[in-house]
Amino acid sequence: MLSIKGLCAKVEEKDILKGLDIVVRPGEIHAIMGPNGSGKSTLGNVLSGRPGYEATAGSVTFKGQDLLALDTEERAREGIFLAFQYPVEIPGVSNMEFLKASVDAMRKHAGLPGLSSVEFMKLARETSKRVDLDVAFLKRGVNEGFSGGEKKRNEIMQMMLLEPTLCILDETDSGLDIDALQVVANGVNSMRDGNRSFIVVTHYQRLLDYIVPDYVHVLAGGRIVKSGDKSLALELEAKGYGWLEDEVA
Amino acid sequence: MSEQVESLIKKEYAAGFHSAIESDTLPPGLNEEVVRFISAKKEEPEWMLDWRLKAFRAWQEMEEPTWAHVHYPEIDFQAVSYFSAPKSMADKPKSLDEVDPELIATYEKLGIPLHEQEMLAGVAVDAVFDSVSVVTTFRAKLEEAGVIFCPISEAVHRCPELVQKYLGSVVPQKDNYYAALNSAVFSDGSFVYIPKGVRCPMELSTYFRINEMNTGQFERTLIIAEEGSHVSYLEGCTAPMRDENQLHAAVVELVALDNAQIKYSTVQNWYPGNAEGKGGIYNFVTKRGICHTNAKISWTQVETGSAVTWKYPSCILKGDNSVGEFYSVALTNNFQQADTGTKMIHLGKNTRSTIIAKGISAGQSNSAYRGLVRINPGADGARNFTQCDSLLIGDRCGAHTFPYIESKNPSAVIEHEATTSKVSDDQMFLCQQRGLDAEKAISMIVNGFCREVFKELPMEFAVEAGKLLEVSLEGSVG
Amino acid sequence: MTDFQHLALKLATTQRSPDWLKDLRERGATSWSSAKWPTRKTENWKYTPLAPLQSAAPARWASTAGNDWQNDIELMDLDATRLVFVNGQFSAEQSTALPAGVVRFADANADQRLLIEQKLGTVVDAERHLFAALSNAWANDGILIHVARGQSLAKPVYLLNVSTPEAEPAVSNQRVLIILEDGSHAEVIEHYVSADSEQNGFVNSLTEVVVGNNAKIEHYRVNLEQEDLLHVGGVHVNLHRDARFHGFTLAQGSRLKRIDYQVNHRGEGAHLELHGVYLPRNKQLIDYHTNVEHCVPHCTTNEVFRGIIGDSAKAVFNGRIHIHPKAQKTLAELSNKNLLTSPTAEIYTKPELEIYADDVRCAHGATISQLNETSLFYLQSRGVTRAEAISMLSFGFINELLNQVPQQAVQDYLRPRLTTLFGKGSELVGQLAYE
Repeated sequence: MLSIKGLCAKVEEKDILKGLDIVVRPGEIHAIMGPNGSGKSTLGNVLSGRPGYEATAGSVTFKGQDLLALDTEERAREGIFLAFQYPVEIPGVSNMEFLKASVDAMRKHAGLPGLSSVEFMKLARETSKRVDLDVAFLKRGVNEGFSGGEKKRNEIMQMMLLEPTLCILDETDSGLDIDALQVVANGVNSMRDGNRSFIVVTHYQRLLDYIVPDYVHVLAGGRIVKSGDKSLALELEAKGYGWLEDEVA
Repeated sequence: MSEQVESLIKKEYAAGFHSAIESDTLPPGLNEEVVRFISAKKEEPEWMLDWRLKAFRAWQEMEEPTWAHVHYPEIDFQAVSYFSAPKSMADKPKSLDEVDPELIATYEKLGIPLHEQEMLAGVAVDAVFDSVSVVTTFRAKLEEAGVIFCPISEAVHRCPELVQKYLGSVVPQKDNYYAALNSAVFSDGSFVYIPKGVRCPMELSTYFRINEMNTGQFERTLIIAEEGSHVSYLEGCTAPMRDENQLHAAVVELVALDNAQIKYSTVQNWYPGNAEGKGGIYNFVTKRGICHTNAKISWTQVETGSAVTWKYPSCILKGDNSVGEFYSVALTNNFQQADTGTKMIHLGKNTRSTIIAKGISAGQSNSAYRGLVRINPGADGARNFTQCDSLLIGDRCGAHTFPYIESKNPSAVIEHEATTSKVSDDQMFLCQQRGLDAEKAISMIVNGFCREVFKELPMEFAVEAGKLLEVSLEGSVG
Repeated sequence: MTDFQHLALKLATTQRSPDWLKDLRERGATSWSSAKWPTRKTENWKYTPLAPLQSAAPARWASTAGNDWQNDIELMDLDATRLVFVNGQFSAEQSTALPAGVVRFADANADQRLLIEQKLGTVVDAERHLFAALSNAWANDGILIHVARGQSLAKPVYLLNVSTPEAEPAVSNQRVLIILEDGSHAEVIEHYVSADSEQNGFVNSLTEVVVGNNAKIEHYRVNLEQEDLLHVGGVHVNLHRDARFHGFTLAQGSRLKRIDYQVNHRGEGAHLELHGVYLPRNKQLIDYHTNVEHCVPHCTTNEVFRGIIGDSAKAVFNGRIHIHPKAQKTLAELSNKNLLTSPTAEIYTKPELEIYADDVRCAHGATISQLNETSLFYLQSRGVTRAEAISMLSFGFINELLNQVPQQAVQDYLRPRLTTLFGKGSELVGQLAYE
């Protein structure tokens, strides 16, 4: 589904990713871990096409297409979803309106008819229940005045509504209490269907207790320095990142 | 500013066509004879002519105001034609069937069908073309309720005592330079009278169209809401695209007697000039309402057109417990300039006013909010809340806030807040990551920014205003 | 030219003054005599009539005569370099010894003269500030405070300006030039005061400040003169890269009192912190005009002004922030809060934003209100009378800003004066604030 080969990327003239290789097959969950400043968040932003994150070498193939050649919204319509580390507030634009526009754009791209307002409302209400978000949030401005946990749950709700094929969770667990963490994890797990893939970017092993990865990659200095199964995450938790950096050096 | 946002925005002005209609147009120039000619053309009584002449003489003594944050070449008031009417209107058509089909086609093209059966249910329209009113719809239905809705030129004959009593009572002839000019040469406009206790059964609407070249439009609107009555009125405006600037100097007077309510909405889409700043309407308008005891006047405006706008719809809160509201969206693009805002003059006890002004600047335009909140000594317990927000799109435009706040009463509470922001790259990215294209994203963000104002517009027009904003913005990010 | 312009110009041009100030004086005279005299229609003077100035018709320069002020006037209690001026004239016997870098124009050495010649009149725009033109025209003396690169003045500079009544109404002139070289630091207190006796003079004061790269100044301006004294003053500041200006000003009103602050952000990373308090009462007028020009990116401004207007007094506040096209990433905030405490008091406030750059965060807020009823009730429920509660809360409204004043001596000087001003109840708060 996704094949990243020798990916290099820079942000504000600074090289962050320096030759990254990952292959994600349908249905897999890959966890990306690493110390602060290792380039974890850069990966998600480069894949989703955030302005300012520039791929300088290497290739990314997504469902057989050259992903890097597509615009941000084209990537989204092709099925790439980024759950933001810091969800953005858009005052005055209601969540409902925003989601409807987004779902309509996706469906149009997929050649599906748009949902009627009634159908959409029903769907949105059901989905917000699944992430334990009061339906009142649908009427409020996008993330406007939401607490940290509410913003993250709002991200997961959007993910459920848009039904992407590749979900990238960028430190979705940061700043969450254990209850909110479980809500997020349950949301992700309920979306596993054997075809949908996930890249879970996290600093802590904690989230991986709930979202069990098929692969764990350790990112340091812009490269994958070690890959393994879920036991690698436990090892990292116990030993920290220092030993890996030493090992690489 | 992200390049994405920068690279958006450019669409033709949709209402910019010219209709080939034969007109009687006065040659350019202004003197007493012109004033007498206009008055004679309308077969006005002596008192009306005297009133005009008094205004004209005052105007000659006055100076053009220069304090607004707008710049334009000096206007040659002798180069403007002060009267133009379609020839076909000279015969005074009795019904729509007698009206020149080309005129009706013009309004249809603008999305304003004049045949009652095709119209938006519940909206009566007065269509003003250059200097004359073409038709006023649903008159019979309104008359059943006792509501008078007719061209002001007709009201002068039909209910002279009302016109004499109220014309100039809110905006005196000498109020300001443009009001004096309008008082001297006003051609047509709408007159509305809502009798005591009547809730006007439908929305009233006037649609202003400038068609003729080098013609100024000087309409005059007077709305009188008797005790306990209610009315909602909406005006719309368009003009053809021309390289020359055209002058529009209107006066609107609202009188809300005890317990009456007037809601006045404007969707102003005069031709703004082209992307190089050539042409467009100079929109110099005086709008003011007076509120008696417990009365309420609410101004809502969506201003996307005109090359230069100079406009401050105001409320004199004379009666105790009266309420004034001003909700405004002013969008400028390319080389447009807007200096707009409101005045809330608190005279009565426990008077309240709310001001919500949203300015959006794009291209190389400038948008300024200028407002006055004045609390007079007698206005015990007066309250004002003002929120002015500016949104900048691009780094070549300007957004300004000039609020004047004056209080002479210790029991008044006044709060004023102003903020400035831009469409952030993060907001754009979020929208695009969720599959929206940049154009949709920006119009969504801008519409969200304006939400508080749009919700004040009558339903049908809120949608139109939103679309208008999209059209006006297309190309602004460029 | 109006009569007053004529009169003042005549006085200015007959002043004795060093040759090396001649150019500035001539330019000042030209600006002053060609300036259109402000009327009600002049935006900058819309609410502040200059009539008291014209009717007082000060006929000559003030002198140090009537030098019996010491009995009445209390100084701030601080260890400082003190320079005392009586009616604008330097009083050597009241002043302390001056450290290097602090000098009267008359005593300046060659280097200092050159510096004054180069900088005096360059921070202020005399075409936009009428009374700066007059100050330039009569520039005959003044004080230079010059701090060399990387240096810090060991003691604060305390400029005490005392006015005393004269036989005939007289004009006094106060001119200060502060130059802080890169990385230097100074603390300057300008204190304007008079005896309680009825004053008949006019003070025109002008301070120019250049804050070099990474330099820092704490600047205070306290205007507590008897209410018949007319005063027009200005503080004009250029801030260079990473410079800091921390300003505090407090004033009572008079028949005419107008103070301008003009701050120009000229170097990236500069910060302005400006706090002000105005407390006019009786029939006084106070007019503060502040104008901050953000000319370059990455600068910040935080401006807070509060006023309590009593009796039949009138306050004018005009706070303008102007963001130039290049000044991206500016953060600027202005807050102005007012309390009117009498049915005949008046406030005219106008916070202005003029913005030509998109990537900025600017906000202003202005309120006119009363003391919070819940707070009053809370105090009353604890046994305080309503009158006491009102004076306590009024004092508290100002004390919030006073508490942030870095120089303790300024706090200590002002606090008891404010408690007297607000009556009995505030003494309690005043005491609490000390604890």
